Amino acid sequence: MLFLISFKSGTPIYLQIVEQVKAAAASGALRAGEALPSIRPLAEELRVNRNTVAKAYSELEGLGVIETLPGRGCFLKENHSALRKGVRRELLTVEIDRAIVQAHHLQVPREEFLELIQERLDALDDKRRAHEGDEKED
Amino acid sequence: MNTSTPAIQIENLAYAYGRAEAVHDLSLTVQPGRCYGLFGRNGAGKTTTMKCLLNLLRPQRGQVRVFGLDPAKNEVAVKRLLSYVPDQVAFYPWMSVRETLDYLASFRANWNRKVEQDLLERFGLDPAQRTASLSKGQRTQVALIAAVCPETDLLVLDEPTSGLDPIVRREFIEAVIGAYQEGIAGRRTILVSTHLISEFEGLIDEFTIIDRGRAVLTLDADYARERYQKIRARFSQAPLELDLTAALRVRRDGRQLELIANGGGAELMARLRQHNPEELSTESLTLEEIFVATLKS
Repeated sequence: MLFLISFKSGTPIYLQIVEQVKAAAASGALRAGEALPSIRPLAEELRVNRNTVAKAYSELEGLGVIETLPGRGCFLKENHSALRKGVRRELLTVEIDRAIVQAHHLQVPREEFLELIQERLDALDDKRRAHEGDEKED
Repeated sequence: MNTSTPAIQIENLAYAYGRAEAVHDLSLTVQPGRCYGLFGRNGAGKTTTMKCLLNLLRPQRGQVRVFGLDPAKNEVAVKRLLSYVPDQVAFYPWMSVRETLDYLASFRANWNRKVEQDLLERFGLDPAQRTASLSKGQRTQVALIAAVCPETDLLVLDEPTSGLDPIVRREFIEAVIGAYQEGIAGRRTILVSTHLISEFEGLIDEFTIIDRGRAVLTLDADYARERYQKIRARFSQAPLELDLTAALRVRRDGRQLELIANGGGAELMARLRQHNPEELSTESLTLEEIFVATLKS
Protein backbone atom coordinates (compact mmCIF):
# COMPACT_ATOMS: atom_id res chain seq x y z
CA MET A 1 0.00 0.00 0.00
CA LEU A 2 1.02 3.59 -0.51
CA PHE A 3 1.33 6.01 2.39
CA LEU A 4 1.11 9.75 2.41
CA ILE A 5 2.90 11.46 5.29
CA SER A 6 2.39 15.09 6.16
CA PHE A 7 4.48 17.06 8.62
CA LYS A 8 1.80 19.74 8.70
CA SER A 9 -1.07 17.63 10.00
CA GLY A 10 -0.08 17.88 13.66
CA THR A 11 -0.49 14.11 14.00
CA PRO A 12 2.68 12.20 14.96
CA ILE A 13 4.17 10.37 11.97
CA TYR A 14 3.78 6.91 13.49
CA LEU A 15 0.08 7.61 14.13
CA GLN A 16 -0.40 8.71 10.54
CA ILE A 17 0.92 5.32 9.43
CA VAL A 18 -1.32 3.52 11.95
CA GLU A 19 -4.39 5.44 10.83
CA GLN A 20 -3.70 4.91 7.15
CA VAL A 21 -3.37 1.15 7.60
CA LYS A 22 -6.60 1.09 9.61
CA ALA A 23 -8.40 3.15 6.96
CA ALA A 24 -7.09 0.91 4.17
CA ALA A 25 -8.28 -2.15 6.09
CA ALA A 26 -11.72 -0.63 6.71
CA SER A 27 -12.21 0.36 3.09
CA GLY A 28 -10.93 -2.95 1.74
CA ALA A 29 -7.96 -1.31 0.00
CA LEU A 30 -5.89 -3.71 2.07
CA ARG A 31 -7.33 -7.21 2.41
CA ALA A 32 -6.82 -9.82 5.10
CA GLY A 33 -3.67 -11.80 4.39
CA GLU A 34 -2.15 -9.09 2.23
CA ALA A 35 1.39 -7.98 3.05
CA LEU A 36 2.40 -4.57 4.29
CA PRO A 37 5.66 -3.11 3.05
CA SER A 38 8.67 -4.16 5.14
CA ILE A 39 9.95 -1.65 7.65
CA ARG A 40 13.25 -0.77 6.02
CA PRO A 41 12.06 -0.02 2.46
CA LEU A 42 9.04 1.86 3.79
CA ALA A 43 11.18 4.01 6.08
CA GLU A 44 13.54 4.74 3.19
CA GLU A 45 10.73 5.55 0.80
CA LEU A 46 8.99 7.91 3.23
CA ARG A 47 12.36 9.14 4.47
CA VAL A 48 11.28 8.77 8.05
CA ASN A 49 13.09 7.27 11.00
CA ARG A 50 13.11 3.48 10.88
CA ASN A 51 12.01 3.43 14.54
CA THR A 52 8.92 5.45 13.62
CA VAL A 53 7.75 2.77 11.18
CA ALA A 54 8.66 0.03 13.67
CA LYS A 55 6.62 1.83 16.34
CA ALA A 56 3.62 2.10 13.99
CA TYR A 57 3.80 -1.59 13.14
CA SER A 58 4.12 -2.69 16.75
CA GLU A 59 1.14 -0.49 17.62
CA LEU A 60 -0.87 -2.10 14.80
CA GLU A 61 0.19 -5.50 16.03
CA GLY A 62 -0.89 -4.64 19.56
CA LEU A 63 -4.28 -3.55 18.23
CA GLY A 64 -4.59 -6.86 16.41
CA VAL A 65 -4.76 -5.20 12.99
CA ILE A 66 -1.67 -6.87 11.59
CA GLU A 67 0.47 -9.86 12.46
CA THR A 68 4.17 -10.42 11.99
CA LEU A 69 5.24 -13.76 10.62
CA PRO A 70 8.94 -14.20 11.42
CA GLY A 71 11.06 -14.09 8.30
CA ARG A 72 8.06 -13.36 6.09
CA GLY A 73 6.90 -9.90 7.07
CA CYS A 74 3.75 -8.16 8.27
CA PHE A 75 0.26 -9.08 7.09
CA LEU A 76 -3.22 -7.75 7.61
CA LYS A 77 -5.14 -9.98 10.00
CA GLU A 78 -8.58 -11.44 9.49
CA ASN A 79 -11.20 -10.11 11.90
CA HIS A 80 -8.73 -7.88 13.47
CA SER A 81 -10.10 -6.37 16.67
CA ALA A 82 -8.48 -8.05 19.63
CA LEU A 83 -10.38 -5.80 22.03
CA ARG A 84 -13.51 -6.63 23.98
CA LYS A 85 -16.74 -5.09 22.79
CA GLY A 86 -16.97 -2.72 25.78
CA VAL A 87 -13.47 -1.38 25.15
CA ARG A 88 -14.20 -0.98 21.45
CA ARG A 89 -17.30 1.06 22.22
CA GLU A 90 -15.39 3.21 24.67
CA LEU A 91 -12.65 3.97 22.15
CA LEU A 92 -15.20 4.86 19.51
CA THR A 93 -17.13 7.07 21.94
CA VAL A 94 -14.06 9.26 22.38
CA GLU A 95 -13.83 9.80 18.62
CA ILE A 96 -17.55 10.44 18.26
CA ASP A 97 -17.52 12.95 21.11
CA ARG A 98 -14.72 14.80 19.40
CA ALA A 99 -16.75 14.99 16.19
CA ILE A 100 -19.81 16.15 18.15
CA VAL A 101 -17.84 19.00 19.72
CA GLN A 102 -16.57 19.97 16.30
CA ALA A 103 -20.13 19.82 14.90
CA HIS A 104 -21.31 22.14 17.65
CA HIS A 105 -18.61 24.70 16.83
CA LEU A 106 -19.31 24.49 13.14
CA GLN A 107 -23.05 24.90 13.85
CA VAL A 108 -24.03 21.61 12.26
CA PRO A 109 -27.37 20.60 13.85
CA ARG A 110 -28.17 17.09 15.11
CA GLU A 111 -30.19 15.97 12.07
CA GLU A 112 -27.55 17.09 9.64
CA PHE A 113 -24.80 15.50 11.73
CA LEU A 114 -26.62 12.15 11.77
CA GLU A 115 -27.26 12.39 8.03
CA LEU A 116 -23.58 13.07 7.47
CA ILE A 117 -22.63 9.98 9.46
CA GLN A 118 -25.02 7.88 7.36
CA GLU A 119 -23.54 9.37 4.24
CA ARG A 120 -19.97 8.60 5.31
CA LEU A 121 -20.86 5.02 6.25
CA ASP A 122 -22.47 4.58 2.83
CA ALA A 123 -19.41 6.04 1.14
CA LEU A 124 -17.16 3.57 2.96
CA ASP A 125 -19.49 0.69 1.96
CA ASP A 126 -19.30 1.82 -1.65
CA LYS A 127 -15.53 1.88 -1.50
CA ARG A 128 -15.43 -1.57 0.04
CA ARG A 129 -17.77 -2.89 -2.66
CA ALA A 130 -15.58 -1.37 -5.34
CA HIS A 131 -12.52 -3.11 -3.87
CA GLU A 132 -14.42 -6.40 -3.71
CA GLY A 133 -15.24 -5.94 -7.39
CA ASP A 134 -11.52 -5.63 -8.07
CA GLU A 135 -10.90 -8.83 -6.20
CA LYS A 136 -13.33 -10.82 -8.39
CA GLU A 137 -11.64 -9.54 -11.51
CA ASP A 138 -8.22 -10.66 -10.23
CA MET B 1 27.56 -0.30 29.38
CA ASN B 2 24.40 0.73 31.10
CA THR B 3 21.52 1.28 28.66
CA SER B 4 20.29 4.27 30.66
CA THR B 5 23.60 6.09 30.08
CA PRO B 6 22.92 8.86 27.56
CA ALA B 7 24.67 8.46 24.21
CA ILE B 8 25.69 12.11 24.47
CA GLN B 9 25.61 14.41 27.43
CA ILE B 10 26.75 18.00 27.10
CA GLU B 11 26.68 20.17 30.20
CA ASN B 12 27.30 23.92 30.24
CA LEU B 13 29.75 23.68 27.39
CA ALA B 14 31.64 26.85 26.48
CA TYR B 15 34.27 27.39 23.83
CA ALA B 16 35.81 30.55 22.40
CA TYR B 17 38.27 31.09 19.59
CA GLY B 18 40.29 33.89 21.15
CA ARG B 19 37.70 36.47 22.09
CA ALA B 20 35.06 35.12 19.73
CA GLU B 21 32.73 32.96 21.77
CA ALA B 22 31.48 30.08 19.62
CA VAL B 23 29.54 28.08 22.20
CA HIS B 24 28.07 29.54 25.36
CA ASP B 25 26.73 27.43 28.23
CA LEU B 26 25.27 24.73 25.99
CA SER B 27 23.57 21.70 27.52
CA LEU B 28 21.84 18.82 25.78
CA THR B 29 21.26 15.10 26.24
CA VAL B 30 20.83 12.50 23.53
CA GLN B 31 19.33 9.19 24.60
CA PRO B 32 20.54 5.99 22.91
CA GLY B 33 18.60 4.99 19.80
CA ARG B 34 17.41 8.51 19.05
CA CYS B 35 18.06 10.72 16.09
CA TYR B 36 18.92 14.16 17.42
CA GLY B 37 19.07 17.32 15.31
CA LEU B 38 21.30 20.27 16.07
CA PHE B 39 19.84 23.13 14.07
CA GLY B 40 21.49 26.47 13.59
CA ARG B 41 22.53 29.02 11.04
CA ASN B 42 26.05 29.05 9.68
CA GLY B 43 28.41 29.94 12.49
CA ALA B 44 25.91 29.17 15.27
CA GLY B 45 28.34 26.85 17.04
CA LYS B 46 27.27 23.46 15.70
CA THR B 47 30.65 22.35 14.40
CA THR B 48 32.47 23.57 17.52
CA THR B 49 30.09 21.51 19.65
CA MET B 50 30.72 18.42 17.54
CA LYS B 51 34.46 18.92 17.61
CA CYS B 52 34.32 18.87 21.41
CA LEU B 53 32.56 15.50 21.26
CA LEU B 54 35.27 14.17 18.97
CA ASN B 55 38.11 15.54 21.10
CA LEU B 56 39.23 17.73 18.22
CA LEU B 57 38.70 20.62 20.63
CA ARG B 58 38.89 20.64 24.43
CA PRO B 59 35.93 22.26 26.22
CA GLN B 60 37.04 25.43 28.00
CA ARG B 61 34.16 25.16 30.44
CA GLY B 62 31.55 22.52 31.13
CA GLN B 63 31.86 18.92 30.05
CA VAL B 64 30.93 16.48 27.33
CA ARG B 65 30.35 12.76 27.71
CA VAL B 66 29.90 10.10 25.06
CA PHE B 67 28.27 6.98 26.50
CA GLY B 68 29.43 8.25 29.87
CA LEU B 69 33.06 8.63 28.76
CA ASP B 70 35.12 11.80 28.59
CA PRO B 71 36.46 12.05 25.01
CA ALA B 72 39.60 13.80 26.26
CA LYS B 73 40.49 11.02 28.71
CA ASN B 74 39.15 8.03 26.81
CA GLU B 75 39.90 9.06 23.26
CA VAL B 76 40.37 5.56 21.86
CA ALA B 77 37.32 4.11 23.59
CA VAL B 78 35.12 6.99 22.40
CA LYS B 79 36.44 6.78 18.84
CA ARG B 80 35.57 3.10 18.80
CA LEU B 81 31.96 3.91 19.70
CA LEU B 82 31.33 6.57 17.10
CA SER B 83 31.82 7.43 13.49
CA TYR B 84 31.79 10.84 11.93
CA VAL B 85 31.00 12.48 8.61
CA PRO B 86 32.54 15.97 8.61
CA ASP B 87 31.29 18.91 6.60
CA GLN B 88 34.53 19.01 4.61
CA VAL B 89 35.59 15.54 3.54
CA ALA B 90 39.28 15.04 2.74
CA PHE B 91 40.98 11.84 1.61
CA TYR B 92 44.49 11.04 0.44
CA PRO B 93 44.19 12.07 -3.21
CA TRP B 94 46.48 9.34 -4.54
CA MET B 95 44.36 6.53 -3.12
CA SER B 96 41.51 4.86 -4.96
CA VAL B 97 38.06 4.50 -3.36
CA ARG B 98 38.94 0.87 -2.62
CA GLU B 99 42.27 1.75 -1.00
CA THR B 100 40.67 4.56 0.99
CA LEU B 101 38.00 2.25 2.43
CA ASP B 102 40.59 -0.45 3.21
CA TYR B 103 42.80 2.15 4.89
CA LEU B 104 39.91 3.45 7.01
CA ALA B 105 38.77 -0.11 7.79
CA SER B 106 42.23 -0.90 9.14
CA PHE B 107 41.52 1.38 12.11
CA ARG B 108 38.28 -0.42 12.92
CA ALA B 109 37.64 -3.59 14.89
CA ASN B 110 34.53 -4.27 12.84
CA TRP B 111 33.76 -3.54 9.19
CA ASN B 112 30.64 -4.84 7.45
CA ARG B 113 31.78 -5.82 3.94
CA LYS B 114 28.27 -6.56 2.75
CA VAL B 115 27.01 -3.11 3.73
CA GLU B 116 30.07 -1.63 2.02
CA GLN B 117 29.32 -3.52 -1.21
CA ASP B 118 25.61 -2.57 -1.09
CA LEU B 119 26.38 1.11 -0.61
CA LEU B 120 29.08 1.21 -3.31
CA GLU B 121 26.48 -0.21 -5.70
CA ARG B 122 23.68 2.01 -4.49
CA PHE B 123 25.81 5.12 -4.98
CA GLY B 124 27.23 3.84 -8.26
CA LEU B 125 30.81 4.39 -7.10
CA ASP B 126 33.76 2.89 -8.95
CA PRO B 127 36.15 1.36 -6.39
CA ALA B 128 39.09 1.87 -8.77
CA GLN B 129 38.56 5.63 -9.08
CA ARG B 130 41.12 7.90 -7.43
CA THR B 131 39.61 10.02 -4.66
CA ALA B 132 41.21 13.14 -6.19
CA SER B 133 38.78 12.93 -9.10
CA LEU B 134 35.64 12.36 -7.00
CA SER B 135 32.93 15.02 -7.00
CA LYS B 136 31.91 16.64 -3.69
CA GLY B 137 28.84 14.41 -3.61
CA GLN B 138 30.85 11.24 -4.24
CA ARG B 139 33.37 12.23 -1.57
CA THR B 140 30.52 12.55 0.94
CA GLN B 141 29.18 9.18 -0.17
CA VAL B 142 32.56 7.52 0.47
CA ALA B 143 32.70 9.23 3.87
CA LEU B 144 29.22 7.89 4.68
CA ILE B 145 30.22 4.35 3.69
CA ALA B 146 33.27 4.66 5.95
CA ALA B 147 31.03 5.88 8.78
CA VAL B 148 28.33 3.19 8.42
CA CYS B 149 30.47 0.06 7.87
CA PRO B 150 32.09 0.00 11.35
CA GLU B 151 28.54 -0.31 12.78
CA THR B 152 29.21 2.03 15.67
CA ASP B 153 26.60 2.92 18.27
CA LEU B 154 26.79 6.62 17.43
CA LEU B 155 26.86 8.35 14.07
CA VAL B 156 27.79 12.03 14.06
CA LEU B 157 26.91 13.97 10.91
CA ASP B 158 28.11 17.57 10.57
CA GLU B 159 26.21 19.44 7.84
CA PRO B 160 26.43 16.30 5.74
CA THR B 161 24.25 17.38 2.82
CA SER B 162 25.12 21.05 2.35
CA GLY B 163 26.49 21.78 -1.08
CA LEU B 164 25.15 18.54 -2.55
CA ASP B 165 22.56 18.24 -5.29
CA PRO B 166 19.00 17.17 -4.32
CA ILE B 167 19.32 13.61 -5.65
CA VAL B 168 22.54 12.99 -3.74
CA ARG B 169 20.96 14.46 -0.61
CA ARG B 170 18.00 12.10 -0.90
CA GLU B 171 20.23 9.09 -1.42
CA PHE B 172 22.34 10.13 1.54
CA ILE B 173 19.39 10.25 3.89
CA GLU B 174 17.93 7.01 2.55
CA ALA B 175 21.27 5.33 3.16
CA VAL B 176 21.37 6.63 6.73
CA ILE B 177 17.88 5.22 7.34
CA GLY B 178 18.36 1.97 5.45
CA ALA B 179 21.96 1.05 6.10
CA TYR B 180 22.81 2.67 9.43
CA GLN B 181 19.47 2.36 11.22
CA GLU B 182 19.13 -1.28 10.13
CA GLY B 183 21.19 -2.30 13.17
CA ILE B 184 19.91 -3.34 16.57
CA ALA B 185 16.93 -1.13 17.43
CA GLY B 186 17.70 1.30 20.20
CA ARG B 187 21.45 0.92 19.72
CA ARG B 188 21.98 3.21 16.75
CA THR B 189 22.09 6.84 17.78
CA ILE B 190 22.43 9.73 15.34
CA LEU B 191 23.49 13.32 16.00
CA VAL B 192 23.07 15.46 12.92
CA SER B 193 23.81 19.15 12.61
CA THR B 194 22.22 20.94 9.70
CA HIS B 195 20.56 24.07 8.47
CA LEU B 196 18.84 22.04 5.73
CA ILE B 197 16.17 20.94 8.13
CA SER B 198 13.35 19.85 5.87
CA GLU B 199 15.35 16.97 4.43
CA PHE B 200 15.95 15.46 7.82
CA GLU B 201 12.48 16.21 9.16
CA GLY B 202 11.22 12.62 9.09
CA LEU B 203 14.35 11.31 10.73
CA ILE B 204 14.54 13.69 13.68
CA ASP B 205 13.17 12.53 17.05
CA GLU B 206 14.31 15.53 19.03
CA PHE B 207 16.21 18.71 18.31
CA THR B 208 17.97 21.74 19.73
CA ILE B 209 18.01 25.06 17.93
CA ILE B 210 21.28 26.81 18.60
CA ASP B 211 21.88 30.47 17.91
CA ARG B 212 25.09 32.41 18.52
CA GLY B 213 26.38 29.56 20.66
CA ARG B 214 23.31 29.33 22.85
CA ALA B 215 20.58 26.70 22.92
CA VAL B 216 17.34 28.57 22.29
CA LEU B 217 14.88 25.71 21.97
CA THR B 218 14.94 21.97 22.69
CA LEU B 219 11.87 19.90 21.86
CA ASP B 220 10.61 16.50 20.82
CA ALA B 221 9.81 16.74 17.09
CA ASP B 222 6.25 15.36 17.27
CA TYR B 223 5.48 17.56 20.25
CA ALA B 224 6.93 20.62 18.48
CA ARG B 225 4.70 20.07 15.44
CA GLU B 226 1.71 19.70 17.73
CA ARG B 227 2.54 22.91 19.59
CA TYR B 228 3.49 25.21 16.75
CA GLN B 229 0.54 25.98 14.51
CA LYS B 230 -0.18 28.36 11.71
CA ILE B 231 -3.78 29.59 11.88
CA ARG B 232 -5.42 31.41 9.00
CA ALA B 233 -8.73 33.25 9.20
CA ARG B 234 -10.73 35.43 6.85
CA PHE B 235 -13.64 37.57 7.99
CA SER B 236 -16.42 39.35 6.09
CA GLN B 237 -15.09 42.57 7.55
CA ALA B 238 -11.98 43.35 9.50
CA PRO B 239 -12.65 42.43 13.15
CA LEU B 240 -12.07 45.34 15.50
CA GLU B 241 -11.45 43.92 18.90
CA LEU B 242 -9.49 40.75 18.89
CA ASP B 243 -7.08 39.83 21.64
CA LEU B 244 -4.33 37.85 19.99
CA THR B 245 -1.51 38.48 22.47
CA ALA B 246 -1.24 34.72 23.00
CA ALA B 247 0.05 34.32 19.45
CA LEU B 248 3.77 34.23 18.72
CA ARG B 249 3.30 36.27 15.58
CA VAL B 250 0.38 37.99 13.86
CA ARG B 251 0.12 39.07 10.23
CA ARG B 252 -2.88 41.10 9.12
CA ASP B 253 -4.02 42.15 5.73
CA GLY B 254 -7.45 43.73 5.78
CA ARG B 255 -9.95 40.95 6.40
CA GLN B 256 -7.30 38.26 6.51
CA LEU B 257 -5.29 37.12 9.48
CA GLU B 258 -2.41 34.74 9.89
CA LEU B 259 -1.19 33.70 13.32
CA ILE B 260 1.68 31.58 14.51
CA ALA B 261 0.84 29.90 17.79
CA ASN B 262 3.33 28.35 20.17
CA GLY B 263 0.84 26.33 22.21
CA GLY B 264 -2.65 27.59 22.92
CA GLY B 265 -3.69 27.07 19.31
CA ALA B 266 -7.09 25.69 20.31
CA GLU B 267 -7.89 28.77 22.42
CA LEU B 268 -6.88 31.11 19.61
CA MET B 269 -9.06 29.15 17.19
CA ALA B 270 -12.01 29.41 19.60
CA ARG B 271 -11.47 33.15 19.93
CA LEU B 272 -11.39 33.63 16.16
CA ARG B 273 -14.48 31.45 15.75
CA GLN B 274 -16.50 33.83 17.95
CA HIS B 275 -16.15 36.43 15.21
CA ASN B 276 -17.75 34.09 12.67
CA PRO B 277 -14.93 33.83 10.17
CA GLU B 278 -15.75 33.03 6.56
CA GLU B 279 -12.79 30.76 6.58
CA LEU B 280 -10.69 29.31 9.37
CA SER B 281 -7.92 26.77 8.99
CA THR B 282 -4.90 25.52 10.86
CA GLU B 283 -1.82 23.50 10.07
CA SER B 284 1.29 22.49 11.97
CA LEU B 285 4.57 24.21 11.36
CA THR B 286 7.31 22.04 9.93
CA LEU B 287 10.57 21.91 11.86
CA GLU B 288 12.09 24.32 9.36
CA GLU B 289 9.25 26.79 9.90
CA ILE B 290 9.65 26.40 13.67
CA PHE B 291 13.36 27.13 13.22
CA VAL B 292 12.63 30.30 11.27
CA ALA B 293 9.85 31.42 13.66
CA THR B 294 12.13 30.86 16.68
CA LEU B 295 15.08 32.79 15.31
CA LYS B 296 13.01 35.64 13.93
CA SER B 297 10.91 36.32 17.03
